[in-house]
Amino acid sequence: MTMENIYDRAITLGEYVPEPDDDRIICRCEEITKGEIRRAVHDGMYTITEIRRYLRTGMGLCQGQTCAKLVKSIVARELEVSPAVLEPATSRSPMRPIEMKIFAQEAKEVGDNV
Amino acid sequence: MSMKRYDLIIVGAGPSGLSAAIEAARRGLKVVVFDENEKPGGQLFKQIHKFFGSKEHKAKVRGFVIGQQLLQEAAELGVEVVLNATVVGMYMDKEIVVKMGEEVHHFKGDSILIATGAAENMVTFDGWTLPGVIGAGAAQTMMNLHGIKPGSKILMLGSGNVGLVVSYQLLQAGCEVVALVDAAPRVGGYGVHAAKVARCGVPFYLSHTIMKAEGTECVTGVTIAQVDSHFKFIPGTEKHFDVDTICLAVGLSPMSQLLKMAGCEMEDNPRRGGQVPICDEYGETSIKGLFVAGDVSGIEEASSAMIEGRIAGIAAAYYLGYIDKEELDAKYQENQAALAGLRQGMFAPENRGKLVEKTEEGIDVSMNLLEKGFIAEDEIERFPGVTHTKGIHPVIECSQNIPCNPCQDACPKHCIKIGSHITALPAVDENVECVGCGMCVASCSGQAIFLVQEDYEPGYGTVTLPYEFLPLPQKGDKGFGLDRSGKKVCEAEVVQVRTSPAFDHTNLLTIKVPSDMVMKARFYKAE
Amino acid sequence: MSSRIEEHPILGVQEKGRKVTFTCDGKAVEGYEGEPIATALKAAGIMVHRYTKKEHKPRGIFCAIGRCTDCVMIVDGKPNVRTCVTPLKEGMVVNTQYGVSAEPFEKQ
Repeated sequence: MTMENIYDRAITLGEYVPEPDDDRIICRCEEITKGEIRRAVHDGMYTITEIRRYLRTGMGLCQGQTCAKLVKSIVARELEVSPAVLEPATSRSPMRPIEMKIFAQEAKEVGDNV
Repeated sequence: MSMKRYDLIIVGAGPSGLSAAIEAARRGLKVVVFDENEKPGGQLFKQIHKFFGSKEHKAKVRGFVIGQQLLQEAAELGVEVVLNATVVGMYMDKEIVVKMGEEVHHFKGDSILIATGAAENMVTFDGWTLPGVIGAGAAQTMMNLHGIKPGSKILMLGSGNVGLVVSYQLLQAGCEVVALVDAAPRVGGYGVHAAKVARCGVPFYLSHTIMKAEGTECVTGVTIAQVDSHFKFIPGTEKHFDVDTICLAVGLSPMSQLLKMAGCEMEDNPRRGGQVPICDEYGETSIKGLFVAGDVSGIEEASSAMIEGRIAGIAAAYYLGYIDKEELDAKYQENQAALAGLRQGMFAPENRGKLVEKTEEGIDVSMNLLEKGFIAEDEIERFPGVTHTKGIHPVIECSQNIPCNPCQDACPKHCIKIGSHITALPAVDENVECVGCGMCVASCSGQAIFLVQEDYEPGYGTVTLPYEFLPLPQKGDKGFGLDRSGKKVCEAEVVQVRTSPAFDHTNLLTIKVPSDMVMKARFYKAE
Repeated sequence: MSSRIEEHPILGVQEKGRKVTFTCDGKAVEGYEGEPIATALKAAGIMVHRYTKKEHKPRGIFCAIGRCTDCVMIVDGKPNVRTCVTPLKEGMVVNTQYGVSAEPFEKQ
């Protein structure tokens, strides 16, 4: 499979074969296992963004700081592509965990605290 | 809402961010540096070893001292360094959003430098979420910033420079390192870093990795096993260790998400460690006036990050019209030469992952060093720093071409030669008389130089070795000489202990050992 | 044996804030003002900071720089506080966190 046909859902990946370490936690925050990620690929979730929305990998407190690369390598292996082929998840604000009440609290003074 | 404007906004107060700030401020730019941490310096304040390189790279200066120097220089030039300031977003037109206290602030930079550094990679194994499994960076933070041991019995996974350096730091902090493990068949980091860990008695297990961490509430043990060339466990090779801590040092990835968010063209480049922005030789990304420097643009060492920072800071000054093309070109050439100096030798980017079998001099490399972490006795004699002159003389166990040369300038008698090619192996000139001052021993960032005297008294010789541990042995103490693998090989008596501000915390320990042990004993252990 | 490094061969004796007392799960613990809460807990031998929501598994310090959020606890009633980057203050009330809320599992 190449970058072009990652979005081609007509491709079949073959049977999902359970592996002994399928129960291992990959996304530490949302407690998503390797087996769940592998299964999601077989369910048709081929991109990192789809996997995130489907399973919530990388959507917990740390926002994927720890598991992004791990998830990518599992998905790539399942699709039999190089991890470099997979687009990483969208980067958007807030880049770090932040309470919504702070995120919504615009400073009144110009460059306050600086 | 209104915004405060700066000529240059820098995200990240580490080695590259601060270096850029200094160069830009020096040229008249109004510069602010935001850092999410409570303290500035990035990883520099956790790096307590002496840096490699030459004078222009601040060689033989410890990382945290370099951090202090950069901060002081930045302060003198009027750079604002804002801490506990988390950049949570970067938008088009170089606008950033920063969380400070309980509010978010917006800033506009006429130019921006992203110097956010790297994040640690992880590997998974059964039990990897247990308390007691930590990143190598966590270990460094705990012991070198907060003064607390990460554990008492520790297994290190990863033999790159981070794994090796942190293992040594753990020993310095008073922890026991039970094993250094790597799935790769060969040590990934500098041989000299490996050798100083090995001679303290830490066993290396290459082609091994962790099967499982044991424990229910926290780590109580670990099982490792050998892997084949496809990284599959070989049954029957399991080994168990009682440990309370497992430390992971399995590489770094650029922390480049802000750049992606701002719309920079990105690429996945395995040689740079992952997702990096596409940038030119000045570190300018596809968005004009938006620069990068340091690990965020490709994983390297702090020494190269500082130079990349300097180049980007100068380039930002040119972009905003503070300097002319002539100054940009001149300064770029100068810094580029320094950068090229660091990117040579066996560990140069193009050699990553390759087995280099011969040195630049045509000498076979030590395979034992690559597989066990120390040079074997039958390999040591082939290197040009190892000689057997009468009386006291240096023995330089530097066997790989790395860009480093402080030893050459350290000797007042000029008996150590590297020459103009910075990666050449140091050679000892046997015609020059060694005065035994020990400056070379203390100046070697790799702690690979020893003074040997084969004829100290009938039947006995002495070995002078670098010693960076507490308690410091005293003259007259009796203990054991350890060989390069950390095995006790003879009784040893401490005959001299030298400390000096010039040695910068590298103490010189001279031990008396039987004559036939002077080329074997390389470390001292009390009791 | 204390896990604090009394004197370091390179860094010497590291400066600390004044000694303060706080509580962890109701028990009095000592630490130094301004150091991360996690450091004081580590010095006191406390390894488990929280139990996870789904599998109820223990977690503790992992990255120590505020990135992984594994070390979060309930601090002065507020859940999900990263103890590795939150400075210790006299009298802080620190509690083991269950899941992502300030309540024990049975009340969730």
